[in-house]
Amino acid sequence: MAQALGQPNSPVVEMRDITKRFGPVLANDRVSLDLWPGEIHAVLGENGAGKTTLMNVLAGMYQPDSGTIRIAGEPVRLDSPAAALRRGIGAVYQHFTLVPNLSILENVALGAEGGFVLDLAPAEAKVASMLADFGLDVSPRTEIRHLALGQRQRVEIIKVLLRGGRVLLLDEPTSVLTPGEVQSLLDLLRRLRDQGVAVVLITHKLGEALAVSDRVTILRAGRNAGDLGPDVMSGADRESVRARIIAQMFGSSPAAETDDSSMDHLPSVIPTPPRVIPTKEESRRPSRRRPEEPRFLADARHDRGAPAAARDEPTSETLLSLRNISTLGDRGAPALHDLSLDLLRGEVFGIAGVDGNGQKELGEVIAGQRPVTSGRVLLEGADITNRGVAAATRLGIGYVTDDRLHEGSVAESSVADNVALKSIGRKPFSNGFWLNRRAMEQQARRLIAEFDVKTPGPHTPIGMLSGGNIQKLLLARELALEPKVLVCNKPTTGLDLRTTQFVIRSLREQANAGNVVVLIASELDELIEISDRIGVMYSGQLVAVMPRAEADPETLGHLMLGGARRPRKASA
Amino acid sequence: MTIGGIPLAGFLTAMLAAGLVAAAPLVLAALGEAVGERSGLLNLGIEGMMLSGAFFGFTAAYLTGSAVWGVLAGIAAGSLLGTLFAVLTVSLRVDQVLVGLAITIFGAGLTAFLYRDVFGGQNPSLSLDTSRIAIPGLSQIPIIGDAMFNQSLLFYIAFALVPVFAFVLARTRFGLQVRAVGAYPFAADAAGVNVTRIRYQAALIAGAMAGVAGAFLSVADLKIFQIGMTVGTGFIALALTMVGGWNPYRILLAAILFGLLRSLGNGLQIIGVNVRTEFITMLPYIGIMVALALLAGKTSLPAALGVPYARGRR
Ligand SMILES: Nc1ncnc2c1ncn2[C@@H]1O[C@H](COP(=O)(O)OP(=O)(O)OP(=O)(O)O)[C@@H](O)[C@H]1O
Ligand SMILES: [Mg+2]
Repeated sequence: MAQALGQPNSPVVEMRDITKRFGPVLANDRVSLDLWPGEIHAVLGENGAGKTTLMNVLAGMYQPDSGTIRIAGEPVRLDSPAAALRRGIGAVYQHFTLVPNLSILENVALGAEGGFVLDLAPAEAKVASMLADFGLDVSPRTEIRHLALGQRQRVEIIKVLLRGGRVLLLDEPTSVLTPGEVQSLLDLLRRLRDQGVAVVLITHKLGEALAVSDRVTILRAGRNAGDLGPDVMSGADRESVRARIIAQMFGSSPAAETDDSSMDHLPSVIPTPPRVIPTKEESRRPSRRRPEEPRFLADARHDRGAPAAARDEPTSETLLSLRNISTLGDRGAPALHDLSLDLLRGEVFGIAGVDGNGQKELGEVIAGQRPVTSGRVLLEGADITNRGVAAATRLGIGYVTDDRLHEGSVAESSVADNVALKSIGRKPFSNGFWLNRRAMEQQARRLIAEFDVKTPGPHTPIGMLSGGNIQKLLLARELALEPKVLVCNKPTTGLDLRTTQFVIRSLREQANAGNVVVLIASELDELIEISDRIGVMYSGQLVAVMPRAEADPETLGHLMLGGARRPRKASA
Repeated sequence: MTIGGIPLAGFLTAMLAAGLVAAAPLVLAALGEAVGERSGLLNLGIEGMMLSGAFFGFTAAYLTGSAVWGVLAGIAAGSLLGTLFAVLTVSLRVDQVLVGLAITIFGAGLTAFLYRDVFGGQNPSLSLDTSRIAIPGLSQIPIIGDAMFNQSLLFYIAFALVPVFAFVLARTRFGLQVRAVGAYPFAADAAGVNVTRIRYQAALIAGAMAGVAGAFLSVADLKIFQIGMTVGTGFIALALTMVGGWNPYRILLAAILFGLLRSLGNGLQIIGVNVRTEFITMLPYIGIMVALALLAGKTSLPAALGVPYARGRR
């Protein structure tokens, strides 16, 4: 499989002055991008910068309004994904494009040319050897729905390669992976690069980009904002490269807002000292809620850049208790087993764990979304076991699911409608019958401003926003309800550096106001940074709970994999 | 031994034959519907397509004196409406339920109008040679032989199409693409499948099969046309498609059961069982509802059923 496209010393893909407009939004404004065979090319930029759009143009999903694309020097029109695939360009989208009820083999064969009758036998051997080569111990006849996310991603890549793909486009591929899976994906990408494939890696995790890429293109507000070639990338000084990238991504924003290396979730790449989030002293904050005028995040914004201060000790008053909770997962298998936990006012309780060990179910139990089979849930002493989501919301329990796009939003509805969705029957959005459109719109505008959501306006369908901007908005919606207990499942996935920092700060604020925040995350650094206490889940149980001071990535990682608690540390 | 004066064997044969003849058009229409739904198209226009197939089939057969032309005209009428359905739902992305119901109402109105217009109040019947084809040997089997193996050509074709459709859906590239398009059109598109083309083809098949099912009623079976003669057969086929879980063999089974329940009802009336006729005629429909209720939650609808696809829409 030598160079099917172009010579190694000329680009395989040359995109020139690509412009793509969505109504009032210029998603790509005369963007240029060159891809060379045998390189990993990172495309970076803040939420809404136009990365996904550019990739969709190259993959044939979108038609550019103007601009040219050359492949191996030849001008082409890529008017469908099929056309792009024929030219050797394949994409792995953020939301995977595998049909869940078809087998791996059928998914690979789908769309490939051939006779009327499907003869899967010749492909089967090839797919099987690819699967083995990619470290997947599954039969090609396995249905996709039985595969884990990381496995599906590999199948996606295999699908592209077997179609003769020489250019592989990956949109935030690591956002769905555990830290271990991330490392092996990056290794795989390096291998493909060495075989001459041009890999495009869109990511918000700077560490990944720095670790693997030979070239970096930075987009800002739909335009080219910077290019770093192999000479710079292979240069010695990582820190200055990082600083340069950040400056180009966010423009002239003060370093204070963006210098945070803790977003870099690959400790092996760049060691990051744990940091304390700067917050203002508690006394400034209104402790009770004023429903008629949501305080929301106005205060939080003032706190940006505030000097670091010691965090308040959690007041030792239990807000929510879980007593001997057991519950079943989606497939009816036990997901939580006899779990007990007290959450204290004013604390951020972090939950670490490898995906699928009951974290999601725990979050759903607290949110009232998943009934328990035994045990009790007490909010301020009152039994709220199995009272359902509506009751939980009313009582002040908020939940941000990790599946924000499907569970969390109505894609066709406007930003304003989505913002009001959770409290649509209540004041100020409704008097119980008529909707108060003005109030809904005002609230939407407020959140858009607070969170710096990139949208043409409150009436735009939420599905039109960029991935990160949808995430921001839905998180903002939950925070705006000012819940006493807020459960967040991976709230920073897909957010850019600056927004991640803002979210972390907002959650801290939420706790400092006397509420409880339960943070489920697979990013250990982030977890350690923000949590007061950290619990580790393994196989449906909380196997350890420790104060932040005792937590470090190694200890947590060990416990997450079912290791025994190290003897040296004992805590209440 | 006799039942109500009829020899038992003869009675059973007649009941079985009536049941199978009732099942044949249901099988035809439901097979097409299964392909449509597997591709994500819920065709509520099936009733109107059948009625149009019945009318145009009848008229062509009447004018040409040939059953073959009749069946071809029925297919053509169904295909035309199937294409109309695709244009509106796939290309223009109008709601499938609305378009389907509109086609059903349109089909009923159009055929009623044209029937009065063309035949001017007469109710002619076809005098065609659609004589039964007895399969040598098999048709001699007692009781079932005459019911199953002494029927019209279209009857055999209907049942023969079951394995053909099963094969096409499961084992051909087209079938794979149909299944993918109905489950997750974005994935199919990204894999290089032309979603629009596949859905057009599926709609065409659904329409053609509904048309031929209608022609079966008017040309092969009853040899007359009546205004509104399908009386909900299309919707029954729709229900059978779901009861059969979009699987041709299970659809066949469901259709035969339905047909037999219906002929059993008629049989009971003939032999004068003392039950109200209304109840007896309800029997097969109750059967469908029970089946649907029992299967509720157990079948998995094609995920994108009823959902239009637009590339780049998120
Ligand atoms: N299909 C669409 N319809 C309307 N607007 C769109 C569409 N796709 C993208 N946009 C707009 O174009 C801009 C760029 O979006 P894009 O998805 O390319 O950003 P991104 O860089 O991938 O952001 P993120 O990091 O959040 O994923 C956004 O403002 C978005 O609202
Ligand atoms: Mg994106």
